[in-house]
Amino acid sequence: MRPLAIATAVLSFASAVVCVEKGNLTKPLTSKLILPSTFKPAQNFKNTNLVHIINLEKNYPKESINVVIENVASTPQDEYFIPFTSQQMATIGGLEVKDRKDSESPLFEVDAVDDTQFYRIHLPAPLAPKAQQTLGISFYYLSALNPLPAHIAQADKQFLVYTFSAYCQSAYDTLKQKTEVKLPTTTVPEYTIVPGTKGSPESPQKQGSKFTYGSYGEVPAGAVEPVKVRYEFTKPLIHVSELERDIEVSHWGGNIAFEERYIMTNRAANLSKQFSRVEWASQTYYNPPSTAVRELRFPLRVGSLEPYFTDVIGNVSTSRFRSNRREANLEIKPRYPVFGGWNYPFRVGWNADLKKYLRKLSGGEGYVLNVPFLEGPKQPEGIEYEHIELRVILPEGAENVQYSTTVPLVSVSTSLHRTFMDTTGRTALTLTAINIVDDLRDRELIVTYDYPLLAGFRKPLVIFVTFLSLFAAAWGIGSLDVKIKSKRS
Amino acid sequence: MESSLHQVWESAVGNSFVPTVGKGSQFFLGFSLLTIGFLLTGLFGLNRSLVNVPIIGIPASAAFAFGAVYMICAVGVYV
Repeated sequence: MRPLAIATAVLSFASAVVCVEKGNLTKPLTSKLILPSTFKPAQNFKNTNLVHIINLEKNYPKESINVVIENVASTPQDEYFIPFTSQQMATIGGLEVKDRKDSESPLFEVDAVDDTQFYRIHLPAPLAPKAQQTLGISFYYLSALNPLPAHIAQADKQFLVYTFSAYCQSAYDTLKQKTEVKLPTTTVPEYTIVPGTKGSPESPQKQGSKFTYGSYGEVPAGAVEPVKVRYEFTKPLIHVSELERDIEVSHWGGNIAFEERYIMTNRAANLSKQFSRVEWASQTYYNPPSTAVRELRFPLRVGSLEPYFTDVIGNVSTSRFRSNRREANLEIKPRYPVFGGWNYPFRVGWNADLKKYLRKLSGGEGYVLNVPFLEGPKQPEGIEYEHIELRVILPEGAENVQYSTTVPLVSVSTSLHRTFMDTTGRTALTLTAINIVDDLRDRELIVTYDYPLLAGFRKPLVIFVTFLSLFAAAWGIGSLDVKIKSKRS
Repeated sequence: MESSLHQVWESAVGNSFVPTVGKGSQFFLGFSLLTIGFLLTGLFGLNRSLVNVPIIGIPASAAFAFGAVYMICAVGVYV
């Protein structure tokens, strides 16, 4: 028995190590500086006025914090910290900060501080003592909405629960604040009521589908007041755990090919009974709200051609492609309605003419490519992507590759991709992003590269040399004298 | 909100990439070149001499080279 117990202990330790490594993958990888875990930001700022807006209209919570910050230190300051819990840190995505007073201002530089749960905002210019600035901070959490009850019947309504803090999480004292929650419906069977304190009424105040917690007076740094809302949301919670998107550029063919491979899960409430095909078919005529994914709509760029939709079995024929001069919509229906807890892995792809995406730089051999970073389905209920790997496959011999995008990335690498007619392999730029939602759908990715003329002629040149050597070999071998004849004396 | 290379993209406006041979004529060109290549190979087969290696071999190899590239593009494998 003893060796068995030791083996079990070793195995469980090994699996724990593996899990920890896996867990680390979901952490933002953008930190530049490691601070001790006991790190506390200096109290250099005060939040003079803060409005926290939580938008629950889609299937992921989108939070925005509009805050007037004031420098209360004696020296100019340029680093403002926002605290998060470790759970939030693993699921937060797309944190962006800009100046609310200046709509033209570029996004502020933001990085995650490793080991401690803070995001650090670098103000573009240090804020002088007693000066104020208005920040607009926005972000969202993935997998943060959970159905309650977790199991429902096929035609039942679904209710989601979201837990947050009525006091906005801040590393600094806040003088005045309120939290607004925008709900998709007015059907909110349960919510936390925060009793009124001196000077402030009982929260929340309801205005249609908008709930307001506060306003609250001075609140110290780090204060939380957990509250919970449970509201109706009879729509699918589409969660893409992995999206691999390939963009292949062909100069010879004048073509750009897109392919997207999805591993899609519906995080909605699971079915409490077995799926009934009869009930599903009889309801389809009435089109009632459902937690199942029936259809996905991809509005592609005008001019997209030759789309395909396949899954592990093969071609899926339940798709439509409407293409004309104004639109190119790919509408696909999965092989089965995807209910809560069900998965559907599939791939879609299409071609387009390269001339709309690629421009030649004046002088030299440079090219600039402009493609959308994400072209996934556009659903009214929203889609969240846990992990995106975007590969831009440039022609063979492309060099000096540079890129820029406003989508927050976690890693970038350049490698070689070998396929038909390649000798050395094509230059592939791989961009990885985590925790992205369909709000960032039309963000552009711009890639510049140099493509020398000789590299362009590599493919025909290789075939030319091969055939010419074949001709030479045919002549050489043909002129060998292999006749069997008697030796003349 | 713009990415840092957006200006580069805007500066190249009116300079769209145009391929030498459009998608519509790839099959015709690829097929013609491959046919020429095969015919020239047949011609070389009739008279395999050292002089014919450059005289027929070079045009035949060039026809095969470009013909193969355009033919694989025409059938949907955009190399």
